[in-house]
Amino acid sequence: MSGTWYYIFTLIFFLFDYFILAMGLNIQYGETGILNFAYIGFVAIGAYVTGALSLPKSAGTGQYYILGFSMPFPFNLLIGGLTASAFAVVVALIALRRLRTDYLAMVLISLSLVLYDVCNNYVPLFNGADGLYNVPEPFAGVLHLNTNSFIPFFAGVTGVVALIMWFVMSRIMRSPAGRTFRAIRDDDVVAAALGKNVFRQQLKSMIIGSFYAGIGGGLIIQFSGSFNPTAWLPGETFVVFAVILVGGVGNNIGLLVGALVVETLLVHLPAFLPAIPGHPGLIEYFDAVLIGVLLMAMLWFRPQGIVPERTRKAGAFGAGERLGAEATVAGEEAVTGDEAVAPLTRSAVQPEVTGQ
Amino acid sequence: MTAPATTSSARNAWENAALSCEGITKAFQGVHAVNGAAFAVPGGQITALIGPNGAGKTTLVNILSGSMTCDRGQELIGSTDVTNWPSHKIAELGLMRTFQLSRELGGLTVLENLLVAARDQAGERLWNIFLRPGLVRRQEKDNVERALDLLETYGLYRLRDARASDLSGGQKKLLEISRAVMASPKILLLDEPMAGVNPALIERIGGYIIDLKRDGVTVLMIEHNLNVVERICDHVIVLAEGRTLAEGRLSELRENEQVVKAYLGEVINAGTTR
Repeated sequence: MSGTWYYIFTLIFFLFDYFILAMGLNIQYGETGILNFAYIGFVAIGAYVTGALSLPKSAGTGQYYILGFSMPFPFNLLIGGLTASAFAVVVALIALRRLRTDYLAMVLISLSLVLYDVCNNYVPLFNGADGLYNVPEPFAGVLHLNTNSFIPFFAGVTGVVALIMWFVMSRIMRSPAGRTFRAIRDDDVVAAALGKNVFRQQLKSMIIGSFYAGIGGGLIIQFSGSFNPTAWLPGETFVVFAVILVGGVGNNIGLLVGALVVETLLVHLPAFLPAIPGHPGLIEYFDAVLIGVLLMAMLWFRPQGIVPERTRKAGAFGAGERLGAEATVAGEEAVTGDEAVAPLTRSAVQPEVTGQ
Repeated sequence: MTAPATTSSARNAWENAALSCEGITKAFQGVHAVNGAAFAVPGGQITALIGPNGAGKTTLVNILSGSMTCDRGQELIGSTDVTNWPSHKIAELGLMRTFQLSRELGGLTVLENLLVAARDQAGERLWNIFLRPGLVRRQEKDNVERALDLLETYGLYRLRDARASDLSGGQKKLLEISRAVMASPKILLLDEPMAGVNPALIERIGGYIIDLKRDGVTVLMIEHNLNVVERICDHVIVLAEGRTLAEGRLSELRENEQVVKAYLGEVINAGTTR
């Protein structure tokens, strides 16, 4: 396989993977309004656990890590996702119970830094600053894949996983549960007054979103065979935020577009460009600048993102027959709201209540 | 419970209370917003909560609905002690509220604002979405029907697909009330439902509140418009400086010197000369 194809399939892999990551952050931030600035931490947990589960026992490999069960794909990936979800429960109990919005964001970013320092410095956990490497490539043995054929194969696997997760997420977002999440995002006090247990719903949203983060992370370590702290500097969270803000919060198509523009075109494509002579690394720095500028421009000129969130019209709820008879109803009701000076619809108030 | 039972109708209120509170106290950094308020809201009637600005009316509604906790005191719904229960648990007992400044769920459509309020939705549980999609669909269909009926009643039907944030002030007031009604309340707390609303719409909202009473809902409303209070409210509670000053019918309260001095004053005189 030629180098060009290698690049293209790598880009496709990251497009699908960041689509998954964006869906996870979107349900937390875009749907439920939780500013999860620790998101990349959940990605890292998924990656480390997935990797450490598929590696053989630590002794003799030259690496230090926990687990080491030589577990086959996709079981290791699933457990990686579930571990991220379990961690989300712990984080939610610490941070979500009492804190909202900006204070919550601060606590989460601190938690992400703590997690980072622990993983980076405590070698027996996930090999410290060196991270995990030589992680077995899924199915490579069974399907006789070499390094070149593994890349398109795994980009395809990631595509299938992304498709399944897209289907599941769409169902959740369209359901009454998704509607309750959005109600909490818009006004948690109102949601509570309407009988919604806000903490419980937010916890649910954290668990689902973190599962997506964990799966996205697990796919990264399976694809590249290694994962270390430089891959998840806390600032990486904001790349995922950029994906969902640029693409459009609250809808999955927007997230795919965001993943394409930010992750594929801005973050990964330039990495394949030839370095500017005499200025190694300059392109990567320009990358970060470009993302920042794009983010500011979007927030300034098009805060709803490239593909804005759509509202669900009544017809989408299966109220078809009723809406068919609309002409008569609309005729009766010529005015609405405060322009409406129509008489009382069900009772005539004045004669009845005066003079009691 | 004891209370400042100033009149016979106040005594009746206590005997037949759907919602009552005693000794409710709330201080914000030393300033007592509510200071020992005690009153009863009679079941199946419309009760007005009146009082000068800063009397603690909204704070009290926030406490009664669980949006805020109180420092001291006791709140009963029927005979259940719900003091300092969280909002959602109080809502589960059938107490719903609206807000003084309309708080619409801006990113949702008008129809969705109502649908959120529907109670016991199977589709809020994730496993039901995937394992019992038929149940979720059926329930959703019923809820949509009910929500559209309510929107027709409240004159918002044509705006069902509009984003709630795009509504005008008066439309938001109607949305607030219809959303609370969607949750099938037993007790409804309305925080100034007619503030900033044109006279014609005041008539309509008054009519809706009377209709709710007919359907058996107990209503407690904060209201400054005494004309409205006189016409639609059965019982009136006067709050001043965080305390209950008096309870009874408005006509009885007009005879009460303290009440006239604290709140009614010129309004009453103006009303009687007209």
